[in-house]
Amino acid sequence: MIQRIRTIALHTFKESVREKVLYNLIIFALLLIGSAVLFASISLGIERIMLINLGLSSIAVFGLLMAIFIGIGLVSKEIDRRTIHNILSKPVRRFEFIIGKYLGLLLTLVVNTTIMTGGFYIALYYVQRHLAGEDALLLETIYFIFLQFAIVVGLALFFSCISTPILSAFFTFCLYVAGNFLADIRWFGRESGSVIFEKVTALLYYILPNFSNFQVISQSAHGKAVPSYMLTAGSLYALLYVTIVISASILIFEEREF
Amino acid sequence: MNQGSKTTCRIRPDGWLWWLLLAAGLLALWRTQRTIDSNSGWREAHDGTLYFTSGKTLRALSLGHGGLLADIYWTRAVQYFGRKQIAYAKHYNLLAPLLRITTELDPHLLIAYRFGAIFLAEKPPEGAGEPEQALQLVRRGIVANPGYWRFWQDLGFIYYWDLKNYKMAARAFKTGSEQPGAMVWMKAMAATITAQGGEFRTSRLLWSEIYRQAETDAIRRSVLAHLAALRADEDIRELNALVARFRKQCGREPRSLGSLVQAGYLKAIPVDPSGVPYVLGRDGTVTVGAESKIDRNLLSESSSSPGSPF
Repeated sequence: MIQRIRTIALHTFKESVREKVLYNLIIFALLLIGSAVLFASISLGIERIMLINLGLSSIAVFGLLMAIFIGIGLVSKEIDRRTIHNILSKPVRRFEFIIGKYLGLLLTLVVNTTIMTGGFYIALYYVQRHLAGEDALLLETIYFIFLQFAIVVGLALFFSCISTPILSAFFTFCLYVAGNFLADIRWFGRESGSVIFEKVTALLYYILPNFSNFQVISQSAHGKAVPSYMLTAGSLYALLYVTIVISASILIFEEREF
Repeated sequence: MNQGSKTTCRIRPDGWLWWLLLAAGLLALWRTQRTIDSNSGWREAHDGTLYFTSGKTLRALSLGHGGLLADIYWTRAVQYFGRKQIAYAKHYNLLAPLLRITTELDPHLLIAYRFGAIFLAEKPPEGAGEPEQALQLVRRGIVANPGYWRFWQDLGFIYYWDLKNYKMAARAFKTGSEQPGAMVWMKAMAATITAQGGEFRTSRLLWSEIYRQAETDAIRRSVLAHLAALRADEDIRELNALVARFRKQCGREPRSLGSLVQAGYLKAIPVDPSGVPYVLGRDGTVTVGAESKIDRNLLSESSSSPGSPF
């Protein structure tokens, strides 16, 4: 089973790497990270802070775009090309296909995030002329950004199983935006005075992916390390959410007829 | 096959017309743009627009990238301040809102509070001349960053230098000195201001401390200008006292500072920190010479306003 999942994952990785849009996004992200050096020069006293904010935001935004635009085509492309019949006619179980697809795209994002992180550290070295111990703490923030990618890829894969690529992209993006406003949504529910509305918003708060759990860029720009309990809790949250989304994707995919 | 694929580049007989139109069009476009640029004064007269007035709303809309937006708004505030300062503007209407939005987006961007307060408190054209806004900004900084004692130093500085409220300045330095990690001199500063009610010596202490902490050459240059003006203020006060003594003892007005030298009140005509001799004005008060490089805007009112008695 592991061998089959590995084969699908590697195949998905190779397929993703061939996407030209991926290279455009990486180049654009690296350019933006590099331009932080220039932006910082027209400000006052925030060279390092601006480089970290702009660099990490670039990694987060472009990684998110990669996760969405490649993730939405993972399953639907196989269905459109009818290659799904070839794959499923082989001794490959459907859940292996879904997990393999997910891990393949995750591997693509690991490689891309590593490249962008490299570019970010080169820019940081250029500004500071050295790399200090506290700069290593930024890897924790990048790890948190990556956890967001892991959830977004899961969501994109889930929607890819039930909808068209365009609608999948739309739904994934909407969930990402909503996931950033969950605390406000819950607050609206509490302030509304309606018990039902309060219960509904509380339910949404726990069901939808809470991306604000992973927002630590601003803090890390001020040299604050992510607390160890947050690292553990954040990792656990992402793992649980990915498990739920992948399970739901498998359930839907198992029932689909081609 | 190869012969067939060979192409030659020739201009058609009527091609010159299009080339002419292209060149003339570009020339006319350049000329039109220059005309627009030369008449764009009405645009610069407009201060700019803030599409969002709440940093908290912007932070919510930033999807977790509030820090980056804060950097952009801080840069915008710095650029706005610089542009206004170059233009010797008397009003900096957008400065306080820009700084408020910046610090609401990132309440831990310490530099925005500290330098922002300097921008707001300085008298025009060096700054916005809004020390009350500067106080508000620093107070917000204290609330958001309670462990950062330097804000109390900034608060004391604004009370001392811009509002001349020595009682509040001393109180701010004292409260700051009680914060964890505060430097010992904060306590000394509070004690000195309380005892002396704001003298040049204390002011020099403040500026020297700021010079020591300055992180950019621009700030250091500004502090040196303030220190030179402070020295000139002190000299002018002493010279005005001598002029008053001369007037009382000799029963006449001195014609110049040379009269004080001749009468033995001075060994020679003193020079200001930029090396230019002080002069006695027609109104009978001492001031810096016309060639002096001392920034007159930084001189205290008693030194710069001609009619004020000492």
